[in-house]
Amino acid sequence: MTTGSIDLALGVLDHQLLDVEGRRCGKVDDLELEGLGEQSPQVVAIVTGPPAWRGRGFVGRMASALARGRTVRVPWSEVSDVASAVHLRSRAAALRLGRGDDRARPFVRRLPRSE
Amino acid sequence: MKKVFAIALGILAAIGGFVDIGDIVFNVEAGATFGYQLLWAVVIGVGGIITYAEMCGRVAAASERAVFDVVRERLGVGTGLVALVSGQFVNLMTLAAEIGGIAIALQLLSGLPYRVLLVLGVVALALVLWFMPFGWIERVFGYCGLALLVFAVAAIKLEPDWGSVAHGFVPSTGSGDLAVYGYFVVGLIGAAMIPYEVYFYSSGAVEERWRPKDLGINRANVLVGYSLGGLLSFALMISAGALLLPAGISAELLGTVALVAEVPLGQVGLILALVGMLFAISGAAIDSAFSGAYNVAQFFGWEWGKYRRPAGAPRFAIAWFVMLVLGFLIVVTGVDPILVTELSVIFSVVALPLTYTPILLVANDRAYMGAHTNGRLANVFGVFYLVVVLVIAVAAIPLLLLSNMGQG
Repeated sequence: MTTGSIDLALGVLDHQLLDVEGRRCGKVDDLELEGLGEQSPQVVAIVTGPPAWRGRGFVGRMASALARGRTVRVPWSEVSDVASAVHLRSRAAALRLGRGDDRARPFVRRLPRSE
Repeated sequence: MKKVFAIALGILAAIGGFVDIGDIVFNVEAGATFGYQLLWAVVIGVGGIITYAEMCGRVAAASERAVFDVVRERLGVGTGLVALVSGQFVNLMTLAAEIGGIAIALQLLSGLPYRVLLVLGVVALALVLWFMPFGWIERVFGYCGLALLVFAVAAIKLEPDWGSVAHGFVPSTGSGDLAVYGYFVVGLIGAAMIPYEVYFYSSGAVEERWRPKDLGINRANVLVGYSLGGLLSFALMISAGALLLPAGISAELLGTVALVAEVPLGQVGLILALVGMLFAISGAAIDSAFSGAYNVAQFFGWEWGKYRRPAGAPRFAIAWFVMLVLGFLIVVTGVDPILVTELSVIFSVVALPLTYTPILLVANDRAYMGAHTNGRLANVFGVFYLVVVLVIAVAAIPLLLLSNMGQG
């Protein structure tokens, strides 16, 4: 884990998620915080999936209304490192991430020389 | 030695890849309308693409991020979506124009009907993208695009008044209709700085896993490749200025462009010009289709990569395929591809600030860039070009209307 301080808005939000195998599996679309207004607020989870843009301003709210699918919540304990991307400890499938690519793959695989 | 060879090959591909239908149309029309007076605008445009492509390559090497990663991180979801939608709109228009250009070049070579060749062209593009390894695509289209160098020979053979040519490198307000002149200034700078080039370049740099040790290659590619690409633009404008302006021929057809090489060099000149145009425009079509796929994948966090087989990045593959289909549908309506070309360049100018502002911000952020943060030189040019981009972005639409799309 990166030591020192980190700016959540600039350093985590909207960053790429990479699973343990380096697979790209979504963006940090929102963060779930706990204990706001108390002594020590904490990030408890990453929320990913366009419906999470509800809380992301006017354009985000409009876009989230059009977005299909559900959001996925990844507990912060799954985060192994925050660098240029947010690295996760598990495989995307185990965290139910990257499902769009997984759904599209069989379709593409039907065509010749897709591998 | 092997490394030098690799760099040289990369540069050759960059020269062939710089010129696309926007450059061809605006340079030849500018030459036919204003002679050599607008050569300086090409210099400004080439300087702009060098400045920002270098920055994008450096951001990719230092922070492993491509343009739309940066756009998303810096502009957030809201403004980022505006940048994405406008970027995709411009990419699609550009792609449509390139597909139309491919069909015209094929038509001039074969004489077959335009719509048949549109279908053939887009099917050929899809097959090449699906089956050909990317390294081969880059080489074949880059090197064959070098046939455009025939225009450099044509420019010399047409014996232009070199004194007036030299004079054209000094910025001026030109003689003739000021609105038309301004329209061409915006078009020439916009065509040189067309944003798919930086989307494609930075994504390629991330895919090739550039690290700070590769920054020398980045600088060489950008400086030499784009400068020599700019020479091709000069050649197009100079030969059009020497041949078309005195004859009073305007250049609203791509066939006129080929004529510029045929008159001084005969049949061989004509064929080289058409082959060069065909491959350069096809290369640009491939780059802009991929750029569309890169942008959307990076914005949403999907898997992406031109070196991956489609099963490795399925939504990315579907995205470039959808781009091709939509681009085809635009031109198959029968809309004039030259008109689409001009509009795509002018609209891209309007959207330029949304691409270049986040890049400049990130290139100045030590948290991303560390020791490779913009130096003074990069910032002087970066800020200068951001101002240029803002000015032409504001002026583009009014000039389009005032000049009646350059018709006066």
